[in-house]
This record gives sequence, C-alpha cells and structure tokens, in this order.
Amino acid sequence: MNRLIKAEFRRLLATRMWGGLLLAAALIGGGMIGAMALVGPENFDPPMPGLDTEAGLRSILGILGYTAFVPAAAGTVAVTSEYRHRTAAVTFLFAPRRGQVLAAKLATYTVLGLVYGLILAGSAAAALFNVAAVRGVSLGLPATTVLALLARIAVAMVVYLLIGVGMGALIRNQVAALCVVIGYLYLGEPVLMMIPGVNTLYPILPGGATAALTDFTYLADAMSEQLGSTAVQLLSPAAGALLLAAYALTASAIAVIVPMRRDIT
Amino acid sequence: MTGDRLAIEVSRLTKRYGDVTAVRDLSFTVEPGVVTGFLGPNGAGKTTTMRMVTGLVSPTSGTATIGGRPYGRLPRPSRTVGAVFDANAFHPGHTARDHLRVYAAMGGYPDGRITELLDLLGLAEAADRRTRGFSTGMRQRLNLATALLGDPRVLLLDEPGNGLDPEGMSWLRGLLRRLADEGRTVLISSHVLSDLQQLVDDVVVIRRGELVAAGPWSRLAGPPAVLITSPDAGALAAALTASPANGGTAPVVEAVGPDRLRVHGLDAPSVADLAAARGLRVHELVTENTSLEQLFLHLTTDKAATR
Repeated sequence: MNRLIKAEFRRLLATRMWGGLLLAAALIGGGMIGAMALVGPENFDPPMPGLDTEAGLRSILGILGYTAFVPAAAGTVAVTSEYRHRTAAVTFLFAPRRGQVLAAKLATYTVLGLVYGLILAGSAAAALFNVAAVRGVSLGLPATTVLALLARIAVAMVVYLLIGVGMGALIRNQVAALCVVIGYLYLGEPVLMMIPGVNTLYPILPGGATAALTDFTYLADAMSEQLGSTAVQLLSPAAGALLLAAYALTASAIAVIVPMRRDIT
Repeated sequence: MTGDRLAIEVSRLTKRYGDVTAVRDLSFTVEPGVVTGFLGPNGAGKTTTMRMVTGLVSPTSGTATIGGRPYGRLPRPSRTVGAVFDANAFHPGHTARDHLRVYAAMGGYPDGRITELLDLLGLAEAADRRTRGFSTGMRQRLNLATALLGDPRVLLLDEPGNGLDPEGMSWLRGLLRRLADEGRTVLISSHVLSDLQQLVDDVVVIRRGELVAAGPWSRLAGPPAVLITSPDAGALAAALTASPANGGTAPVVEAVGPDRLRVHGLDAPSVADLAAARGLRVHELVTENTSLEQLFLHLTTDKAATR
C-alpha cells in the first residue's frame, strides 16, 4: 500500500497539474476574495450586505465555498487521465488489486485537497484581513470566527476533490466525467434550487451541505425571494459537515469498488 | 524468482461479449526458454487472450495461469510477468524517467534499475523528455523498459513490432532471443509474420477465437521442400516420382512453372544425385523452408474451408 501511495505521489508531482491547481487556490482565495473585499459587497450589482455585517461576511465566504467545483474537477481529471492515456492497464498489471490502487489515489488526493484547502483559506484570510485594514472596515465577525469558517471551507475542498475522484473512477471518460462534475456543481445545483419542490432537497445536496458549513444562506434566500417560494432551511453546520463526510465516503467507496471487476480493454 | 522456468497455461478459456464470442474454449501452453509466436488474423482474439492471462479482462469461463498461479495471485506480479499492450500508454506530460519512476515505486524497485533500463533500451538521451514528443519506436522501447522493471521471468508482448523500423525490429529480436535463452518465457503476438519468422521457436495459431495449431515451429512447418530449375523438368519429374525414396514413399512433385519443380519428401543432395545419375541438367537447386506466412495462410484459410 505504501508503494502505491509513493507511486501516486510520483505520478502527481511529475505533471504540471498540481502546480496549476495550487496556483488556482491562491488566485481564487487571495485574488477573488481580495477583489470582492476591495470593491465591497455593498457596491455589487445587486448590492449585498457589507463586510462589516455578519451576513455580508458569510456571503463572501459562501461564494468561496461555491468554487469547490475546481478541486472536484482536478480529482476527476486525475483519475480519468489513467484511462484517457491508457496507463490504467499498466497500473493494474503492476497492482492487480485495483481497489488498493484507488485507495492509494484517494490518500494522495486527500493530501492534495488539504494543501489546496489550506492555500485557499490562507490566502483568502490574508486578503480579507489586509483589505479590511486598508479600507478601514471592521469585519462583521471576530477574526477567530472568520478563520474557523475558512478552515471548514478548506476541509470541504478535500471532500469535493474526493467526490471528483469517485465520479472519475465511475465514469472513466474524461470529458464526460468533467461535464458531469462541473456541470452539476457549477450549474446543476443552482438550477435545482430554482425548481419549486425540488429546492427543498437543496440542504441535503453537496452544495447545500457546504453552504451549511458557513451558514451561507444569502444565495438561497435571494432565490426564494425572487421565486416567491418558502425560504430553504439549511442544515446545522455540524449536520452539514457529517453529510459532506458521507458524500466523501460514498465517492471513495465508488472509486474503490467500481473498477474491481471491470475489463480493461 | 530468478532462474525460475514458468510456463503459461491457458485452459478452456472463453470470453463472450454479449452475443459475440471473442475467445472460445482455448487451451495451449507457452513453454519457458523459447520464444512463442501468437498468431492470428486481426480480431482473432489474441489481445483478449493476453489480457485474460494478465487479469485485465476476466474470462467468461476457463483459466489462465503463470507458473501455476492466476495472475492476480502472483505475490509480486511485476517481478514475474512483464507485459506490453498499448504502444502508447504514457501520460504525455511525463518524461520517460517520470513514467518509469511511477512504476518502479509501485513495484518497489530502486531508482538504479531505471537508469539501467534506460541504458539497456537506448533511451538514456531521451530520458528527460516528455513522452508526447516520442516516436513510435521510442514508445515501444519505453513500454519494454516498463515491462522489464521487475526483471520478470515471463514476457508478454502484444504487437510490439508495430511502428518499429527494420533496425528496431532486429534489435527487438536480439533482445527477445537473449531473454528466452536465459530460460524466460516469451509470448509475442503479431500479424506481421515476416517480423516473427526468424525469431519464434514455437507458434500458437488462433482464428476466430479458436485454436488452429500449436507446437514447435519446426514440427508444424514440416521438412523443407526442394525447388529445382531444370530445362529437363518433365523427365526429372518422372524420374523423381518413380524413385523409391527414403522410407519407401515416393516424393511428391509439383510443377511450379515450365522448367521449375517443387519436390516434397526428398532432400536436395538426393535430388541432385538422382539428376546426375540420369544425366538430367539442373540449373538451380534451392532448399525451401516453409515460411510462417505459408503455414499461417494454410492454417487460417484452407483449414477453415474444410471445417
């Protein structure tokens, strides 16, 4: 098992993908949050509560959670590239216990997801605190609370990366898997939120669970208001965290079990 | 497993994909210490069979073992078996060294083995280039390097000659011959028969997923024929047919042109002696070995017609 993890780290670190992914973390965390804080949510169109309010701060952080499709896509690319570049056969020749190979990938990508989440959260924190100081805005939540919320987002990124790995192992075709993962996380969930009736499911979908982590209700509330439907009630942060962990476990189980009996042609 | 002599045993192997039977009740043995050619037209089931032997494809029924164990039960498969399937099985962004480092880690082989193989396969200069720019010949060499990481006792190569230039092919023949001479088991599939002609000791021929012939090439090919060019072809043919040859059976004479004969069942010195004794002129006398291609066409077309 250690050999397999070592091999997966070598495989990962030999391509430029991991560098690009970590750069994306810094750009999204530092760049996007920095830019939004600099402009100020109160100046958005439509305007949102400012950084000096709790709602405004939670919204900004919630938007950060919404970028989880990026690590999810990275996990999908990582697994499907074995099929796309036809190295899966070589890998399973060296390690016929395919479940172990996928478990090693999950371990490797958990580490990558953690690093991604830390860079994302760290750069976001740096951007937020510095911009607030420069603009002379006092944040709507204490710094420790902001950091705790960012830490939850960091962990959510690990979960999404693993969901991406699981979906990649299930679908195998890189383009199709990416379409499903990005399509669902980026477009699918927001669309589901708009469908009356179906939107009551939102709290138990991955996006809803992630929003629960930071108690980010602004987007959901705005949509219910627009559509005149009843407000969506998110889970508690702890329940959201448990649900996300369940999603990660399910995705991991799919990744480990599904490739076992399939023919590699 | 150094020094082990491990046979591949395929026993009643069958693979069905829906209504299509890719491999049907196939049994054969691949012996150690020789190079075995796995022959068959495209779509005969060669690749499917080799993938079943290595556990990549699960058989519908039947078994395949290597040294008595199924692939999945080998303690460290890459030390026992090296296999090459796709000519192009690399991440394009990986260098040759990166690729080998991944699989060296997976098999538990030291980095020194990578350098050794890069040298052995003439890839030392290309070691740090990304594989996306590799020629087919370089890809085949890198595939072989990957398969040889664990110094395996059994080698399975699926169409390794594809894209190799004549020099590369000659080099590959030399390498496989050396590996077989070390007592390793070498199974190589190809539809380019001329590539294998000078290499294989044994052959396994399949067609439409079924076994057509298996055994040592010399036995399947039969004794060589003698090709004669003579202005007295007619008289010579009559003399040959009338001669009580070795073992009492008369040789079979086949006219292949106005002044050319092919004689089966009599060797060249006997033909020459007979002609001299009768005072018949011989302009050319050639011993003709059956080519793999002749045997192959004979086995995969004629035999099928009589079935």
